[in-house]
Amino acid sequence: MMPADAMPPVPGSASSADPPAKRGGAAIAADPPEPIVAKIAVRNLNFYYGKSRALKDISLEVPERRVTAFIGPSGCGKSTLLRTFNRMFELYHDQRAEGEVLLDGENILHSKTNVARIRSKIGMVFQKPTPFPMSIYDNIAFGIRLYEKLSRTELDARVEGCLRQAALWDEVKDKLTALGTSLSGGQQQRLCIARTIAVRPEVLLLDEPCSALDPISTAKIEELIYQLKSEYTVVIVTHNMQQAARASDYTAFMYLGELIEFDQTRRIFTAPRESRTEDYITGRFG
Amino acid sequence: MERTRAAADRDLKPAAEENRSAGGARALSADFLFRYVALAMALLVGATLVAVVAAIAYDSWPAIKVFGVWGFLKGRTWDPVSEHFGAFPFIVGTLVSSTIAMVLAVPLSFGIAVFISELAPSWMRQPVSSAIEMLASVPSIVYGLWGLLVFAPQFANVEPWINDHLGAIPGIGVLFRGPPMGIGMLAAGIVLAIMILPYITAIMRDVFVATPTRLKESAYAMGATTWEVARNILLPYTRTAVTGGIFLGLGRALGETMAVTFVIGNSDNLSASLLMPGASIPSVIANEFTEATSKLYVSSLIYLGLVLIGITLVVQTLAVLLLGTVGRGARARS
Repeated sequence: MMPADAMPPVPGSASSADPPAKRGGAAIAADPPEPIVAKIAVRNLNFYYGKSRALKDISLEVPERRVTAFIGPSGCGKSTLLRTFNRMFELYHDQRAEGEVLLDGENILHSKTNVARIRSKIGMVFQKPTPFPMSIYDNIAFGIRLYEKLSRTELDARVEGCLRQAALWDEVKDKLTALGTSLSGGQQQRLCIARTIAVRPEVLLLDEPCSALDPISTAKIEELIYQLKSEYTVVIVTHNMQQAARASDYTAFMYLGELIEFDQTRRIFTAPRESRTEDYITGRFG
Repeated sequence: MERTRAAADRDLKPAAEENRSAGGARALSADFLFRYVALAMALLVGATLVAVVAAIAYDSWPAIKVFGVWGFLKGRTWDPVSEHFGAFPFIVGTLVSSTIAMVLAVPLSFGIAVFISELAPSWMRQPVSSAIEMLASVPSIVYGLWGLLVFAPQFANVEPWINDHLGAIPGIGVLFRGPPMGIGMLAAGIVLAIMILPYITAIMRDVFVATPTRLKESAYAMGATTWEVARNILLPYTRTAVTGGIFLGLGRALGETMAVTFVIGNSDNLSASLLMPGASIPSVIANEFTEATSKLYVSSLIYLGLVLIGITLVVQTLAVLLLGTVGRGARARS
């Protein structure tokens, strides 16, 4: 639908997505014409739950080191699309995807592609916090241990680094051996983000990460998302349009399994080309 | 319009109020009654247990007086002729056959449960589950007959191989050396394993299936394999219920009588080899109760029953201690 060279330019520092103040000179300096690279390219993707077709010929390109939001009413296929990126649907026998999802040019959906390697590159955070039934420390170390053999001191440093990056370290440093489930909802979700970045992925998929959280926790997660995009390509599915407007650089609007419009967030929210997009973001339906 | 509505409301109000208070009184008395009926039932179970233990203790009193507690537990001879009774060989037989059963059944159940909950295509889940559960509905006497007439003769053909290979391993080899008779401690353990398998499997499967999908998915999303998810997520998450299921199986194994009596060989000699015949507490009671003529003989057999209850209680207590939490999840889930 949109070849890489037609990708819209980088949003300026004045874009509506920018929370004020937080962005210093660095954002302004970094913003102008840094070339946009497609990290994930979706081509003619169709997805089926049994016989029902949930995604219809989706094509889009997720830009590297930017935040891309998928918005749309419930059942529009935005989570489904997200779950093709790490082949999560394969756990269920009646679900299948046709088409291509390219990560740096490699087709994720190809049966010969090693799914564990894909999932180490593409991390996912779920709607509800899902701390593993183990200590806070082990929650982070779990993923690291799957891929790397580290000495105790190296592992300690990695765990601390991840918790710091997820803005959780100060709150948990004295109780690393406590169960992950003993944390509050917002802390649990930051723990899940820390756990996901612990395996050093390149892409972060966030499936409505704030829908179960209170406004303060939501603000913390959004702040975190903003900081993470300097290192990661972030894709976030959200029901909350303000969140998409605040936190993302690009927005894809989906409806009934189709990609209606994909553009810079600023344009989607100020001058959408499609009337359906405008109707949705202004709250006329959905 | 407004006025009619208001008037109607006024008319309805007292009636509604009345209904509500009547409902309240009804609920209160029903609740009261139900609470005490339920309490009575709960107490009845406890009282039955106490009564059973008391009756058995009373009947075994003559033997307790003669042999004492430690003397009976450590006594190695079981001689009805000279009326000298010791429980040690049967305690060992009970614990060893149950241990063999657990060692075989627990990993197997875990594998089956993981297969059903995580790996099997959906059309296979129900048939496999039902087949396993049907194992539980086979009467134990049938297991006994099958064990003696079908399994043991076949197993006797395997035992030379066990002798040659497992028997050659230094250290544990002594466990696997003996004449190929088919029946014996190992055969009893294997039959017991098949019998307790469905209980442990059913509980593990239920709690694995009940583990939140999003929890499993988030582990898969990290690139974990099915084994890693089962080992690191499913097991810790369902720890309490799984332990409960294992001890339920162990309880069955400790008390199983008929099937064990058929295949254990019924010998009161202690042997290091698992291929040799032995006897368990239930099997010796079943075998000898009708032959027991003297008062002390009968009393000693009942005393064995008391010891078995004691073993079961110790095992249950260990289970509770092992869990640290007094069986919260296990009771609720299983």
